[in-house]
Amino acid sequence: MKKYTLKKSLFKDAPEPEPPQHFRIDYRNQLNPAQYQAVSSVNGPHLIIAGAGTGKTRTITYRVAYLVELGVKPESILLLTFTRRASQEMLRRASILLDARCEKVAGGTFHSFANQILRQYAPLLDFDSSFSILDQGDAEDVVNLLRTQYKFDTKERRFPRKQTLYTIFSRAVNTLTAVKDILKEDYPHYEDFLEDILRLQSAFEQYKATHNMMDYDDLLIYLRKLLRDHDKVRRTLSDRYRYLMVDEYQDTNRIQAEIVTLLASSHGNIMVVGDDAQSIYSFRGATIRNILDFPESFPGCTLIKLEENYRSTQPILNLTNEILRRARE
Amino acid sequence: MRHKYTKELFTHRTGGDLPTIVVAESENFQSKFVVQKVLELREQGIPLNTIAVLFRSGYLSFDLEIELNKANVPFVKFGGFKFIETAHIKDMVAYLRVLENPRDAVAWNRILLLVEGVGPRTAEKVIDDVLARRVTTAGDSSRTLPAFWTGFAGYPDRVSDLFGALKDASPSHIAPADKVQMLLNYYEPVFKRRYDDFNKRRKDLDMFQQITERYRSLGTLLTDLALEPATESVTDITPPGTDDEKLVLSTIHSAKGLEWHTVFVIYALEGRFPASRAAVSEESMEEERRLMYVACTRAQQNLFITYPINIYDRESGLVLSKPSRFIAGLPENLLDTWVVDEE
Repeated sequence: MKKYTLKKSLFKDAPEPEPPQHFRIDYRNQLNPAQYQAVSSVNGPHLIIAGAGTGKTRTITYRVAYLVELGVKPESILLLTFTRRASQEMLRRASILLDARCEKVAGGTFHSFANQILRQYAPLLDFDSSFSILDQGDAEDVVNLLRTQYKFDTKERRFPRKQTLYTIFSRAVNTLTAVKDILKEDYPHYEDFLEDILRLQSAFEQYKATHNMMDYDDLLIYLRKLLRDHDKVRRTLSDRYRYLMVDEYQDTNRIQAEIVTLLASSHGNIMVVGDDAQSIYSFRGATIRNILDFPESFPGCTLIKLEENYRSTQPILNLTNEILRRARE
Repeated sequence: MRHKYTKELFTHRTGGDLPTIVVAESENFQSKFVVQKVLELREQGIPLNTIAVLFRSGYLSFDLEIELNKANVPFVKFGGFKFIETAHIKDMVAYLRVLENPRDAVAWNRILLLVEGVGPRTAEKVIDDVLARRVTTAGDSSRTLPAFWTGFAGYPDRVSDLFGALKDASPSHIAPADKVQMLLNYYEPVFKRRYDDFNKRRKDLDMFQQITERYRSLGTLLTDLALEPATESVTDITPPGTDDEKLVLSTIHSAKGLEWHTVFVIYALEGRFPASRAAVSEESMEEERRLMYVACTRAQQNLFITYPINIYDRESGLVLSKPSRFIAGLPENLLDTWVVDEE
């Protein structure tokens, strides 16, 4: 067989778009100065600290429109949000603001994005692309099935219940913590069962793989694995999504932060938006460290704070500012 | 290590009343205060759905719910059971899941146990039989399936009926909503036998079928259901229409990103908010503080932070009566303080 080589120089990516002479939207006048700075930032890492009621949705919406107006291909923008409704709403508003091109922007939650990518690449991970997604209740049922099969629960000792076991497994995954340490910290009375719990955990993983199932955590785990272990896929996806935006960054978990880093690997164009003061989902594995450490993870990052509030009266803000002032420095 | 980004929020709007701390001598006084204040606001023309009562944990609103019912104040509560988590919807979803992924042993187990006379052992046998066929569907499952569903012999009639129903619904040209209709016909007697309150639950199945009308692919439908369980059970929500002005009750977690004209934060009581278990670490206590911050920043015009005193805590054996540390000892010029009294 003969090799025919395609010349790289001939098929370079389209050059960076030239900004248009006149923007159709008057960004400078429709936004406050901090919002405008965020909206008109294009390349490189950016951290937007958006206080409560400071027009975060508006800012993201305008930035999508700005990028598209600048000539960025809408398909190359990826907007990850906390709920799918949130991204749909932002893209809908951007379309009204500019035009229908904004509807082509890729958007969704980390889980829906992972699902979409994994359906495409499932065989690389030894799954069928028709894999089932287990919700929490389903996953607990599987754990229970195995727990019974292994006969871990005896009259002499009370083995943890299915909910507890699944919480432990899920926490281990989401916070990248060893089961041993979780037991030590939260369930010291089960520390003696460590070995059996670990056996159950690997049986659980095996079971899901054999039966072509993923739980919510797996969607993220396997996406990270795909991006980590398959250089070509990572490059393809990173090249496809040239501009990443992540909303509610204060409520992401460690795996999500790793996914973001991997996706940004070939360009570093990443804007995360959030408010550390509103990080309230640690029980689901979210870590406030992602947003607090973002400047260290992405050196050269620009920090922009949105502080003008459009929701509350000043007396209410005086109180909430004070509540925050007393938080740990 | 950085612990926060300092920020100072401000507005160009002028005016507004001071936030108010409300001390009530019992839980019930706290509830009655909220009810009376809500009715007053309603009198002043503030629609009920622009008022919210927020709390740290779902159970903290039970007494208030009773008082609201007595006063005929309609309300909707967020942070409770979701539509997709109800047993009868999970049943329907399980039928669809085995159509899409015949190796889905969890779904198999559920629908087999629904068959009258089938116990765990029979279920396991059938599942082993199914798995032994080792179908790999590689993408478009429905194309390979109709053949798959035949040839399961030697089972009780009722199990054969299940296979028959699945086979009938499997062809790929049948739209998801039609598959659901076919499976609903099969499910009807099962459903009636299994749930005493099937009449109430039927509304959920209707709504489920309505939702599936929007889909052309079963795979997409199942993915959406798994990833985006949006709608609440109809038993909990109002039909959209004229009479949908309702007071909002919500956990703080479920109030994320939302705003209301008037916000009540109830049970701002040490031991409840912050919850007593938060004392285990500085991290979790700081998160409780952020929860209070999230709750208070939902308010546009009025903010009432209430706490009852003399609450007996069975877990610790203590009487709780101190205000939440997040609102205690704040400069006096930031707050009004009211004490609830009875005529």
